[in-house]
Amino acid sequence: MAKEKTYVEDIDRSMYDFRNEDEDAYRIEEGLTAETVLEISKEKNDPEWMRDFRLHSLEIYNKKEVPDWGPSIEGLDMDNIVTYVRPNAKRMVKDWEDVPEEIKDTFERLGIPEAERKSLAGVGAQYDSELVYHNVKDEVAAQGVVYTDLESAMRGEYADMIREHFMKLVPPTDHKFAALHGAVWSGGSFVYVPKGVHLEIPLQSYFRLNAKGAGQFEHTLIIVDDDAYLHFIEGCSAPKYNVANLHAGCVELFVGKNATLRYSTIENWSKNMYNLNTKRAKVEEGGKIEWISGSFGSHVSYLYPMSVLAGKGSRAEFTGVTFAGEGQNLDTGCKMLHAAPETSSYVSTRSISKSGGISTFRSSVVIENKAKNSKAAVSCQSLMLDDISRSDTIPAMDVRTSQADVGHEAKIGRISDDAVFYLMSRGLSEEDARALIVSGFADSVGKELPLEYAVEMNNLIRLEMKGSIG
Amino acid sequence: MSENKIVKLNRMPAITWYWLKMNETSVEVSPEVKEAAVSAEVPASISVSGAAALPEMLTGSGKAMSAVVDESGVPVQTYTAAAGVKEEAPVRLHFSYENGAEQVNAVDLVVEDNAEMTVVMNYTSDAEAAGNGIVRTRLNIGENALLKLVQIERVGKEFTFVNDLGGQVAESGNVEIIHLFLSGKKTCQGSRIDLIGKKSQMKLDIAYRLQGEDRLDMNYEINHIGRKTECEIAVNGVMRDHSAKVFRGTIDLRKGACGAVGNEIEDVLLMDDDVRCETIPVILCSEEDVVGNHGATIGRLDEDLMFYMESRGMNKEEIYEMMAGARIMALVGKIPDAQTREELVAYLGGNAEDDEE
Repeated sequence: MAKEKTYVEDIDRSMYDFRNEDEDAYRIEEGLTAETVLEISKEKNDPEWMRDFRLHSLEIYNKKEVPDWGPSIEGLDMDNIVTYVRPNAKRMVKDWEDVPEEIKDTFERLGIPEAERKSLAGVGAQYDSELVYHNVKDEVAAQGVVYTDLESAMRGEYADMIREHFMKLVPPTDHKFAALHGAVWSGGSFVYVPKGVHLEIPLQSYFRLNAKGAGQFEHTLIIVDDDAYLHFIEGCSAPKYNVANLHAGCVELFVGKNATLRYSTIENWSKNMYNLNTKRAKVEEGGKIEWISGSFGSHVSYLYPMSVLAGKGSRAEFTGVTFAGEGQNLDTGCKMLHAAPETSSYVSTRSISKSGGISTFRSSVVIENKAKNSKAAVSCQSLMLDDISRSDTIPAMDVRTSQADVGHEAKIGRISDDAVFYLMSRGLSEEDARALIVSGFADSVGKELPLEYAVEMNNLIRLEMKGSIG
Repeated sequence: MSENKIVKLNRMPAITWYWLKMNETSVEVSPEVKEAAVSAEVPASISVSGAAALPEMLTGSGKAMSAVVDESGVPVQTYTAAAGVKEEAPVRLHFSYENGAEQVNAVDLVVEDNAEMTVVMNYTSDAEAAGNGIVRTRLNIGENALLKLVQIERVGKEFTFVNDLGGQVAESGNVEIIHLFLSGKKTCQGSRIDLIGKKSQMKLDIAYRLQGEDRLDMNYEINHIGRKTECEIAVNGVMRDHSAKVFRGTIDLRKGACGAVGNEIEDVLLMDDDVRCETIPVILCSEEDVVGNHGATIGRLDEDLMFYMESRGMNKEEIYEMMAGARIMALVGKIPDAQTREELVAYLGGNAEDDEE
């Protein structure tokens, strides 16, 4: 068995960049046709409505254009992507010991069981197209919190709730890859936090894509009922292959009246991954959504979590950091839609580009006419670490009422020579000084994360900064 | 008789989501066009010719709109300040638009090395006039040269107007531009300035006053190509009634533009509840040693300011009227031509904050 590593203290690239042979796994044929969609549906034992939904989504997918406003995704050929890979495992289990040895080893090397023991209320682990493990602590379950895989929930007592909410926030018509998701989605979690339940410790889902040339299309559906609180953490990684992999997941979050949901993501996909993920939250009166987002991996990312402020006085915060290194083109940001009075949104992002990496901050703030007395503030800062990289900011604002206050500030620049000189005069090497400054630059995200994850993020930054001097 | 055609223009250099409908705009153009009447006051030191001087210059509205001007066959009027000529008196070009006509004009402005020139372009028509007007202005500013360019739009409330501008600035050259939009049904402003030479600079002041059903669509693209180039963009707007505007402002800090600084600030006062204010300030950066900043404030007056004014006995409406007028007048005061300032003060019915000595 490989040497066990914690995901906090002993980080190095090999921690993410190992792979298992998947020769025993069941793989659907490459490409995307009605037959492959029907095969997935059959494999999933879908109810009839879901099978029809998949086929309808496929029709939409075939009609939609590939986006031409963002990074190129020419290297992604859907004819070569395997849309469903079932690992050689039993269906989802609740006992860690029942997870196949190889998969268990993968997640242990990533630190997932240890994280569960230490600091989480529940854990879900997805391996390729299937959830292989799901568990929630007894005391959490006793409060009525549901944390399970979406597919079994769809057939159980929450079937109506799921049908009512599934892809209603992100309809397949939204864009081409939302339609793709609707056609071939597989795996993912369902969370329901009942009224008034305040979950002090977070739940976590971890997504691991091991199979070469495969896609992962998990669907996360979270409903936080009125006056409840949840912190949900999402982590992603994959080994690196020399062919394209695709992640086109979908996250739909429903935040009830006066409820709060904090959704944190540390994304570290391998650098052959096309990360075309869609995340959206709808917030009711007095509710709040808090997005914490760290984007470090993938070859190409299109990632813009959207907040629909539907209820009076609802709020949204987005705090994000993006680190684009060699061979990466990360197009990230967020969307804020103010659709009710007295809503507020706050966006704070940091982007870092080095070694030829491209980072783009893209956002939209729309204040509808009915969103009287709403406020929005956007702050985006970008740091260029060399002259072969690129950093762009493309923020859009659309204000349709005079009774609103919208502020925006953007700044692009380099590390101050004075700051480096000062730190070097205090005994730091130039490399350490620059790494410290970059860590500080990204601190707005780090301080919003639980300590273990903040340490992981700083380690990732330090790792990315290695060798960037001279 | 040929049919009108739809021309797309003002496309951003870096586009974004189509659902926002902010990437570009379009206008309907008739093939039956003529040249608008222009009265010109030209100082003796400035030479005038009827031949195009800058045929390859790209403009902010885009190639399709430039092609409309070229295909119209109207002559290009070129005004040149020869090397070393420093003319303080302005060139005044007054474009008078007829009601119901499709009118096109083309102007090239050349300021050779170490020269200085001021040009004031006034676009006017009857207040009730309808029709289309297109003016394409191309600039070439030589080394250590200075161009002060003022373009003021006061066309009829049924008039569609395209003000297309493109230019480049050589080493240590400087261009100062004032854009003032005061009336018109739909105005499309496309501007592209390439700061090519080392230490070349651009200063751009924009003010607009929109009311009724006015539409203003702006696309400003500033390309920092040379080292230590600088640009400052300040936008002040007042919107009333059902008016709408899109502001696209792109600062492109290109590879090789070491030491470049680009700053952009926008302040929009929304006076009525049915306005629509769209803004997309873009910074593109492929050079490390640069600074790019953008700030925007959209909405109402600051609460502290309101409190102060109200404590001085003014009511809310008076305060807003005063502040709206002040934004426009502040820019009128910067126009480097006393005659134009006086004319605008009379038109606006206020007092300019006179910055000129």
